[in-house]
Amino acid sequence: MKGLNNKILEINLDQEKISEILLSEEVLENFIGGRGIGVKLLSERIPANIDPLDPKNLLIFTTGPFGGTIIPTNGRFSLVTKSPLTNGIFFSNSGGSFGVVMKRCGYDGILIQGGLKEPGYLLIEGGKGPELKDGSKLWGYDTEKTLEELKKIEGNKINSLMIGPAGENLIKIAAIINDATRAFGRGGVGAVMGSKNLKAIVVKGGDAKFDIDNQELLKKYVEVAQDKIKVVPITRSSLPKFGTSALVNVINILGMFPINNFQKGFDERASLVSGEEINKKLTQEREGCYACPIRCGRLTKAGDMQGKGPEYESVWALGPNLGIYDLITITQANYLCNKFGIDTISCGGSISCGMELNEKGFLNDLSLKFGNTIMLKNIVEKIAKKEGIGAQIGEGSRLLAKRYKNEEIAMQVKGLELPAYDPRGAIGHALGYATSNRGGCHLTGYMASLEIFAAPKKIDRFTTAGKPDLLVLKQNQKAIEDSLVICTFAGWALGLDYYARFLKAITGIEFDVIRLTQIGERIYNLERLFNIREGFTKNDDTLPSRFLNEPLKEGASKGHIIPLESMLEQYYFVRGWDKEGVPKKELIKNLEIDFKL
Amino acid sequence: MIIDESIYNMFKKIGEHLVRHGYNTSHSGNISIKSGGKIIIKRRAAMLGNLEPEDLVICDLKEEDSGSLIASTELGVHRAIYLETDAMAVIHAHNPYCVALSLIEDEITCIDAEGFALYKKIPIIDVKIPAGAYYTSIEVPKILKNYPFVVVRGHGIFAKGMTLEDALQYVTGAEQSAYIRYLTLITGKPLKRDFSKEKDFSIW
Repeated sequence: MKGLNNKILEINLDQEKISEILLSEEVLENFIGGRGIGVKLLSERIPANIDPLDPKNLLIFTTGPFGGTIIPTNGRFSLVTKSPLTNGIFFSNSGGSFGVVMKRCGYDGILIQGGLKEPGYLLIEGGKGPELKDGSKLWGYDTEKTLEELKKIEGNKINSLMIGPAGENLIKIAAIINDATRAFGRGGVGAVMGSKNLKAIVVKGGDAKFDIDNQELLKKYVEVAQDKIKVVPITRSSLPKFGTSALVNVINILGMFPINNFQKGFDERASLVSGEEINKKLTQEREGCYACPIRCGRLTKAGDMQGKGPEYESVWALGPNLGIYDLITITQANYLCNKFGIDTISCGGSISCGMELNEKGFLNDLSLKFGNTIMLKNIVEKIAKKEGIGAQIGEGSRLLAKRYKNEEIAMQVKGLELPAYDPRGAIGHALGYATSNRGGCHLTGYMASLEIFAAPKKIDRFTTAGKPDLLVLKQNQKAIEDSLVICTFAGWALGLDYYARFLKAITGIEFDVIRLTQIGERIYNLERLFNIREGFTKNDDTLPSRFLNEPLKEGASKGHIIPLESMLEQYYFVRGWDKEGVPKKELIKNLEIDFKL
Repeated sequence: MIIDESIYNMFKKIGEHLVRHGYNTSHSGNISIKSGGKIIIKRRAAMLGNLEPEDLVICDLKEEDSGSLIASTELGVHRAIYLETDAMAVIHAHNPYCVALSLIEDEITCIDAEGFALYKKIPIIDVKIPAGAYYTSIEVPKILKNYPFVVVRGHGIFAKGMTLEDALQYVTGAEQSAYIRYLTLITGKPLKRDFSKEKDFSIW
C-alpha cells in the first residue's frame, strides 16, 4: 500500500536473529497500520494465556500511513503487547519523532519477541540495518542518564525508547519512556521490555521514501485541515496556551475531578494546580511533537528540577487524587516517574488506593496519608526500586487492594487504574471505562467530547439514552485513528471525513468514512476476541462498586450513580455481541476476522 | 424498547425549531436517530412542530418491519443513510433557499465566511423521482459518506450528525449560506470579497 514501507522489522532476541515481515496489501487495507496492524500481528503470533512477562510475549511498535507525511500531528506511533497489569491486549500511543524516524529507516514497525541473555539495546540506523548491542553498562541507569550515555555512543541525533529502573525491576506499572520525556505510559509495558532484557531501542538517520499517490491533492486537503485547526478554539487556543491541564478547572467545576481516590468530585483548591497556575509558576517554553501545529507540551522547571509536563492526568494523579495541591511537589514527582520509567496515572491511582486503605485502617503505613506532600517523591522512588510498601504499590491498585482484602477500594477496570474523570459525572464516559478493551481508559472512546465539551454538540451527561450507540461509534473511530496514526487532539478540529480524504490521496484507494469506521470495528472486535481467549468475561466489563452504588455528596455531579447493567445490555446488542458479551459468529464473518477462540 | 423522555424532548425541540423557522411546512420533513440498534423516527403525517410522545416510532435498523406502517414516508432513506454512513441522527427538511438554488445551480458555493469555513460547499444531486424514498435512498447515502449534507434538487436537504442537534446545525447552516448566496445573486452586483475563490474546494 502506498504511504508505507510495507514491512515490519522482526527481532528474535532469543536467537539474536533479525528478519522482516512483509505485509500484504490485503492485511494493510483491512488493518491500515499502527494499532490495527499491531493487534493483527499480536493476535496471530502469541500463544494463548502466556504470562505477559514470558519471552514469548511480543512488543510491536508501529507507525501508519500518515506518519512522516505533511498531515498535521502525524508524529505519533503505536505499541501493542499483552499487558502484565491487565493480562489482556494492550495498545498504547506516544508522540515525538521516533515513529517518523523509524519509518524513514525503512520499517513501518518493529516486532520484538524472545529475550536477551544479557541486557542489550537495539540500534536501527537508516541505510545500515539493525544491530543488537551490549547494554549491560546502561542497565540500572535512569532514563535521563541512559539517554545521555546513548548519545555518547550513538551521537546526538538519535531518537530512543527505553526503560528505567521500574521496567528493569518488572514493576507492573512501568512505562516505556520515549526520548526521556514522553511515554508509552500505561499497562505496565515497561515491564514487558524489562522482561526481555532490552534496555533501549535507538533509531537514527534514514531516508527511505514511501510513495504518495497524489501529493498535490494531499497538499490541498492538508491546507484546508490546517485552516480548520487554526479556527477551532481548543486547537487554536486552549491546548496551545494551557496544555492539557486546561482541563483542571473545567472538570472540577463539573464536579467530576476525582479527589482522594474518587471519594469526592470537587475541591476548591483544584485551581492551585490548573493550567493557568502551571503557566505562571512552571512553564519555560511550549513544545510539540513532529509536524504538530497545536504544540500542547510544556518544558517546565520546578524547584531545582527541570523536565516536561506535567500533563492533566499526571497533575491530577499525583496531586488532588492524593490530596496534594503543591505544584512543585506534583511536578517533581512527575519528573521522577519519567526518570524511573513509571506510568503517572497508575502510580497515582495505586498510591491513592494505598492511602484510602490506610485511612480506613486496612493497611498501616505512616507515609500513605492523603495530603502527605513530603513523602510523595520517596514513595515514587520506592515503587521504582521495588522497596518496602513501594513493591506492593508497584503491583497496581487491584493487587494492592486484594492483598489487604478490600478490592473495592481499587479504582480500576480490568486492572488498569482510572484516569481523571469521575465517571458519575458522565454516564457515557462511564460505559466507556467499563467496556474498553484495555481497561480503565478514557481515550478508547472519549465520550467526554460529547458529554462535556459539546463536540460536535452537547448531550445530557446524566442520561443513558443513546449512549451505547454513540460509544460504539466513538470506539470504532478511535481504533481507526490509532491505526492511521494521528493525534487524538487533531480530532477536535478534524475527523474521519478529513482522514478518509488524506488516506485516499496517499494510497490511491477508495476510502470513505464508513469504510474507515468498519475497519475500526474490525480492530475493536479482534481485540475483544483476544481478551475473551485470555479469559475475560462479561464480569470484567464493570466499574468499582463505588460508582454503581455511592452517589457523590457534593458538587455539580452530586447525587448520580451509574446504571451500568442496562447500558451494558444495550451496548452488547448494538455491538452485535451475545448477552455474555461475545461477538456473534455472523459479526465475525461479516468483519472478515480470522481468529479462533 | 421504551423511548426515553430525553429523546422525546430532543425530537420535540428540533421539530419545533424546523417548523418555526420555515424549514418545513406543518406536516413535511422528518427526523430520526439511531439508538439501541434501532431507528427512532417521526411518525408519518405527524406535525413536526408539535410532536407528541406517540409520534415517535421505533423501526428495525436493517430491514423493513411493521413500524413502516406508521413511520415517515422517507424511512427508507433514513435507514439507507444509517446503514451506509456513520450517521447517528438524520434530518430531512425543505430549506427554501437551498431548494431554490438547487433549481438553478449544480452545487451551492458557500460565499459567506462561516459557510466557507464550516461547510466548504453544499452538494446537489438529481434524483429521478425526488419525493418518496426509493430513488433517494440509493443516491443520498453515496454523498453522505463523505459530506454532512446533500440537497436533492427541487426537494430538500438531508443532513446527518452525531446527534440531532449536530444535524440541525448542518440544516440551518446550509440554509444560511444558501440565503446569503441568493441575496447577493439577486443584487446582480459583483462581490467585493469572494471567499469561495480563496480556496479550491473543487477537490473536496
